Amino acid sequence: MRNKVIRDIYRWFDERLNLQDLIQLANKKYVPIHRHSIWYYFGGVTLFLFIIQVATGILLLMYYKGSEDLAFESIRYIMTEVEFGWLIRSVHSWSANLMIFCAFIHMFSVFFTKAYRKPREITWITGMILLFIALGFGFSGYLLPWNELAFFATKVGTDIVGVFPIIGKPLQLFLRGGEDVTGTTLSRFFGFHVAILPAIFIVFLIFHLILIQRQGMSLPMNIDQSKEFKTMPFFPNFLLRDLLLWLIVLNILAILAVLFPWELGSKADPFAPAPAGIKPEWYFMFMFQTLKYIPAKIWIIDGEVVGIMLFTIGAILWTTIPFWDRKTERGQKNLLINYLGLFCIIYIILLTILGYLS
Amino acid sequence: MINWKNVLFKIIILFFSLLLIGRMEKSYSQKKIDYCFSCHRANNDESAFLFSKDVHFEMELSCADCHGGDPTQKDMGDAMSTENNFIGVPVGNKVSELCSNCHIGEYSALYNSVHAKYSIKGEEWIVQCTTCHGIHNITRVKNRISPVNPFNISKICAKCHSNISYIRKYNPELPTDQYEKYLTSKHGLLNSKNDPKAATCVSCHDNHQILSKKDPRSSVYFTNLPKTCSYCHSNQEYMSEYKIPTDQYEKYIKSVHGIATTEKGDNAAPSCNDCHGNHGAIPPGIESISKVCGMCHAINAELFAGSPHKKAFDSMKLPECETCHSNHDIIAATDQLIGISSTSICIKCHSNEKLPEGYKTAKKMRELLDSIVALESTITKLVSDAEQKGMEVSKAKFKLRDIRQIKLEIKTVIHAFDLSIFEKKTTEIFNLINEVKSQGEYAIEEYYFRRWGLLGFTLIIIILAVSLFLYIKKLENKSE
Repeated sequence: MRNKVIRDIYRWFDERLNLQDLIQLANKKYVPIHRHSIWYYFGGVTLFLFIIQVATGILLLMYYKGSEDLAFESIRYIMTEVEFGWLIRSVHSWSANLMIFCAFIHMFSVFFTKAYRKPREITWITGMILLFIALGFGFSGYLLPWNELAFFATKVGTDIVGVFPIIGKPLQLFLRGGEDVTGTTLSRFFGFHVAILPAIFIVFLIFHLILIQRQGMSLPMNIDQSKEFKTMPFFPNFLLRDLLLWLIVLNILAILAVLFPWELGSKADPFAPAPAGIKPEWYFMFMFQTLKYIPAKIWIIDGEVVGIMLFTIGAILWTTIPFWDRKTERGQKNLLINYLGLFCIIYIILLTILGYLS
Repeated sequence: MINWKNVLFKIIILFFSLLLIGRMEKSYSQKKIDYCFSCHRANNDESAFLFSKDVHFEMELSCADCHGGDPTQKDMGDAMSTENNFIGVPVGNKVSELCSNCHIGEYSALYNSVHAKYSIKGEEWIVQCTTCHGIHNITRVKNRISPVNPFNISKICAKCHSNISYIRKYNPELPTDQYEKYLTSKHGLLNSKNDPKAATCVSCHDNHQILSKKDPRSSVYFTNLPKTCSYCHSNQEYMSEYKIPTDQYEKYIKSVHGIATTEKGDNAAPSCNDCHGNHGAIPPGIESISKVCGMCHAINAELFAGSPHKKAFDSMKLPECETCHSNHDIIAATDQLIGISSTSICIKCHSNEKLPEGYKTAKKMRELLDSIVALESTITKLVSDAEQKGMEVSKAKFKLRDIRQIKLEIKTVIHAFDLSIFEKKTTEIFNLINEVKSQGEYAIEEYYFRRWGLLGFTLIIIILAVSLFLYIKKLENKSE
């Protein structure tokens, strides 16, 4: 009787949406099995954390008030008065950090397995754009509780943006909504965080996912594609494995949110002196620390300008790697790329540790 | 008959007259040639006449030392020629600059003083040396006729400082009743009785380097004032004839007011002058002590005035605030002052036998205070414990602040010595304590609830994950 009802419902939808085609497509999709298969899961985990971000973000939006006078109080209200508000906020904050962490792992796994090579150049670029937007999410979201640490970190962050030659100052004014970080900046960041960035992100995410579905999973270079290799069906095998990992991530998230609840700190006071030890979010730390080590003047150029320019050039080179890594495209092993990636990882880890120790 | 007594008297008068003329002639003849002085004196010039009594004349300074020119030239044209640097009557700051040729220390003190800060039309200081010391009749300070002699100095200062329209031009906020007040002060009264030790204007304000009371270098700046007063008042030898204590400063700097003023730099805290008056300084009498204290502790004074103690203190001629809090060595009022313990002040007058109603009230008040202290300590620990556990307890912490505020209010309310008013305030605190307690307890409960919840959630996830894992294995085995 129950099966009959389910069948009827399925038939009703199938007649209208032609679900059979989708099922056939899913049945045709296979995922390669090899010793690097584990890295395939990190894209899915990042997507799962993004879904959590959207869900918890919507819930927070019901109580959050994006103004200078009310932002801090509304977060405190969420944490103290709203049923499970503390959990939602804590999950949102932890999930944001885990999402960026997983996105970095995903990016480096794609980089080292050279999955960016033809025909997946656009997938790589859309992925990089998604990562940059995710960093934008982090930067804009950090200010929203309007607490002391976030206020001064945003001040420092936007100061660095202002250093960028030619477009730095106008960009800084655009971000801050004025000369200084004020309530206008908060309103602006709120707008970026909940409307502008999600809208752009969704477009690129859909594009990114469509490309993955169209092109399938990339094979590492050491696997001969002309020969037979082990695979597993995407549906349901890979999807169920994905689901298993998502459950584990969900549990890790719950443990972090409960045992290490995200602190609120004290309300931002624009007239108070900056507290000692202002630090950006961990994913900006390596850049922040690098700028500290660069001398004030390099020849006639400001050290900060040199640093910012170097990072910009680095990001452009990294994003455009499918277009200049010709050796890989020809199917040859390019160890230089591996060393470059390794250097970047060591550099990021080292500078981040130094940033927290200093 | 010859009146020998009369003759002898005349001979003595004649002898002393000759002696005086001889001395004058001698001193005049001993001087350097000074045609300026001799001509001006011969012409009955008042300046020359005054200068003959001037201390500078006595020190053999000539007119030319201030006015320039050559006093050895007999010809007036030559003596007062520009070639001989004749400057005539010095004007403006030139006057003080001329004095500085010899009195450089005094000049630089004046230069740094408030009198050199204000100017007339931006051209000259409002006070020059001559403003206080006179022009051609300058005498030593010790000389009773000197305008800056201790018995005259206040009048000289008052010339400007009591002139409302004059002071208004330069410093509208400065009062002009200092001299009037000084005359009524203990210092002024002693001064008028020719006591040379009594303080005058310059005793406190310095003589040449007079600074604004807002200037931290000033001897009357609020943090320096106690030390200035103590200069005389802590000097046992100096004060011996007045038969007043000399330990006020020592007591004051250890008092709650002294610490606030001298250590914390709190300009709202009273210094000597705030209670005794500054220009009209006089010890407040028994009647006025509460008025003096009430200037700052207004509510305490008002409550005390309506309390049963007012009548009792008045009848026993006890100074109101001083009886319990002392005067110069006022310590921070703690709960120890109230009650019936050995540290309490109430037991000085109240006991089970004597005035028992007050004794019971004091006992009850102290019991309530002690229970507030104990409960506050418990809930503070509870909230701190919850905070340590990572719980958000800002609301409870705000309420703890409210409790501290009401505790301060209780210290004021206590001056009504009315148990019903006191209990009204303590009830407010007890209500707040209960609220904080329940919030703290809720936070602790919530902490454990979250941990148990997490454990439950983790178990569900593990079951789901294991089931899923087994299902995947089963699925994969089947497909193989």
